[in-house]
Amino acid sequence: MFQPLRLNALLTAVVAALVVLGLPLLGVGSYVLHVMILIMIFAIFAVAYNLVTGYLGLKTFGHHAFFGLGAYGSALISIHLGIGAWASLWIGAALAAAFGLFIGLPILRIKSMAHVAVVTLAFAEIVRLSCSNLKGLTRGELGLWGIPAFQALHLPLVGEVVFSPANKIGYYYLAALLLGMTLLATAVILRSKIGLAILAIRDGEDAAESLGVNLTRIKLGVFAVSAFMVGVAGAFYAHYVGILTPSAAIGADLMILVIAMVLVGGLGTFAGPLVGAVLLTSSAESLRFLDQYRLLVYGGLIVLIVLFAPRGLASLRLPGRRVPERPA
Amino acid sequence: MLEIRGLDVAYGDYQVLWDVSIDVAAGEIVAILGPNGSGKSTVLKAIIGLCRARSGTIRFEGNDLARLAVHDRAGIGIAMVMERRRLFPAMTVRENVLLGAYPAAVRHDAEARLGWVEGLFPILRERGAQPAGRLSGGEQQMVAIARGLMAKPRLLLMDEPYLGLAPKVVLQINDIIRRINAEGIAVVFNEQNVNLSFALAHRGYLLESGRLMLGGTGQEMLHSDVVRRVYLGE
Amino acid sequence: MTAMPIALYIEQIVNGLVAGSMYALVGGGIALIYGTMRVLNMAHGEFYMMGGYAAFYLVGRSVPPVLAIPLVAGLLFLVGAAVQRLTVHYLLRQDGWLFACIAATLGLSIAFQNLALIVFGEDYKTVPYYVEGILRLGDIRLPLQRVLMLLVAVGTLLAMGFLLKKTRFGWALRATSQDSDAASVCGIPVSRVHMITFGLSAALGGVAGAMLAPIYSVSPWMGLPVLFKGFVVVVLGGLGSFPGAIVGGLLLGIVEALGVQITSAEWRDVFGFALMIVVVWARPWGLFGKAP
Repeated sequence: MFQPLRLNALLTAVVAALVVLGLPLLGVGSYVLHVMILIMIFAIFAVAYNLVTGYLGLKTFGHHAFFGLGAYGSALISIHLGIGAWASLWIGAALAAAFGLFIGLPILRIKSMAHVAVVTLAFAEIVRLSCSNLKGLTRGELGLWGIPAFQALHLPLVGEVVFSPANKIGYYYLAALLLGMTLLATAVILRSKIGLAILAIRDGEDAAESLGVNLTRIKLGVFAVSAFMVGVAGAFYAHYVGILTPSAAIGADLMILVIAMVLVGGLGTFAGPLVGAVLLTSSAESLRFLDQYRLLVYGGLIVLIVLFAPRGLASLRLPGRRVPERPA
Repeated sequence: MLEIRGLDVAYGDYQVLWDVSIDVAAGEIVAILGPNGSGKSTVLKAIIGLCRARSGTIRFEGNDLARLAVHDRAGIGIAMVMERRRLFPAMTVRENVLLGAYPAAVRHDAEARLGWVEGLFPILRERGAQPAGRLSGGEQQMVAIARGLMAKPRLLLMDEPYLGLAPKVVLQINDIIRRINAEGIAVVFNEQNVNLSFALAHRGYLLESGRLMLGGTGQEMLHSDVVRRVYLGE
Repeated sequence: MTAMPIALYIEQIVNGLVAGSMYALVGGGIALIYGTMRVLNMAHGEFYMMGGYAAFYLVGRSVPPVLAIPLVAGLLFLVGAAVQRLTVHYLLRQDGWLFACIAATLGLSIAFQNLALIVFGEDYKTVPYYVEGILRLGDIRLPLQRVLMLLVAVGTLLAMGFLLKKTRFGWALRATSQDSDAASVCGIPVSRVHMITFGLSAALGGVAGAMLAPIYSVSPWMGLPVLFKGFVVVVLGGLGSFPGAIVGGLLLGIVEALGVQITSAEWRDVFGFALMIVVVWARPWGLFGKAP
């Protein structure tokens, strides 16, 4: 349940925000910033995925399609139409949201979870194969490069903010801003009347029907919002790394990684996806020498979490704390 | 032969049976009575093992059932006709009936018992090759009972045997239960209607809100104030 | 379209049937598990992959294919049964078991792929044809390897059909898939049926992997595309229906073989997936089944 903000939750949030905002001022190296930026990209993805899968109860397995659509959409628009990354990011995300509406309609009609899983996977495969086959446009697996970075900004008080591989501070704060906006939007949705309806949907469609809300429209809307958020993450990623391949930007590995994050942190909890993104991204980076075993570990981790801690690590780590029971 | 002592059953945090004790002697017909939601079905499900006892014991011919899985209970002489029949709709009537003799302990003389069961229910021969899902409710009930009998039970549990059946079929079912009972098979069934139940049962138990209120013979129960209070709110 | 000799058309269709019979094996395995447990097994492609590796090592150690194929089936049966007993068995008792099973088998899939990568290496392994030579029927030419594939697939599926229809275990499996509580009340050990079903499913996938190993090469990643094909097949045939999966498999094989004339191989899968989404939208119970 989405409870009223308690004081210590609020405090944790404020401290976390201060740490994130203050980190670059401590003069940490470019590598740490890079890892933090990756964490924030994944966190946006994981929060958006959790919104649909954890809260809405619609178990999709194809959200990486929206990451790819946002990434390729924004990259291609900025390359070919000469629109700057600041604008193309939103167009790419809107493209992802449009596809979200398009694929959301059929999958919302389906009651069987297995069918939803198969259809969403197939949809993502269609997007990946298309990006891979349209070589004239995307260069396929050779990689789409030359994606423009964000143009430098002139901010009052701060001065010029540049976005370049050498100076990651600009990217860092932009990622933090996008993540903040994602979290804010998620919180607003969950605390609104729609949020009530969403929770009612999760706990049983009948209960939601009795609220007199239009379920399909709400579900579709939330699905599109989630696709938009993932699209933002993808678009930012495109302009940050500067090169895209279908297997990296729309590969199933990406989805599996995000599923692992959300499950580790706790499906259907507000902080879960954040915790998962931090834990899995940073452990992957610090265990670089184990690179060969990385995916093996993620796969095994998903199995273990599902078997032994289906509510995420948070439910294991604090044996003293009561885990709220969800009504059956 | 069946001895239930202090049975508590809960679904999650929701307790449905409180301290229920019931006895069934060999060859008896026992009715479990009570209004909707009183826990009648749960008693039968606990005996067959479809829901777990939180505390209390269930003994069958002296053996504690707690350690036996559902599928093992069929092999030791307990069979159940489930609520709403629960046939395998895409399998033929004959396949359904023969599956009743699945436990290894009763497999060897299945053919002989099939003859007896087909004598009780001529419909099994007539419609043996049809998918069970195509039969009417009454016909399905016959197949379900036949399936139960194939397990060579000494105790037959029947969950809401009359549910959704026409009055004429109810009489037929009663007739069949009497014939089964005449073979020495004990029958425990649950039903809401007291008069209907005692047309058949030797003894009965009354449940209300998961607690045992009363037990006794048909005469005792039909004249009991408790029964009147529970059913008529007097 | 260019005019093509009729023999070439027939060859295409037969090739489609051969490929389709392999899809039927894979799809049949997915359907068995979904039909009995309502579990969408995302790791099914890895059973196929393991079948490929098992065939590579057995045939490489000069085990004759006549022996190797049944060995692969037996080995994969054990792997599948073990996977069920150690994971799905426990997950089926959880509250959110539907999602838990999909997520766990997805995790297994990724783990198996990368385990194979570490153990077997990333190079593509080639397996020699099990039989050399070409069958000629008039103008039609067929490599004997493909004839063998068709025969093995038909034989395996017939054996499965016999098992399901005529044996006690088959009855127990069908009863379990239709109503597992009622099955256990009848004395059927449902958990064991689940475990054996998983084993059988894995064996079907393994046989397909072993038979296709000489055609495609063996690699850690060979399972994923086949899993997707299997999904298309089971959706076409109605998720959970074993006969549906066989018909769906043959249909997909033939459509693909003829479709190559119309579109490039690159876009073939895209059309396959799009077709599948349309089928789920319009006829979620499959092309052939009846609406529930």
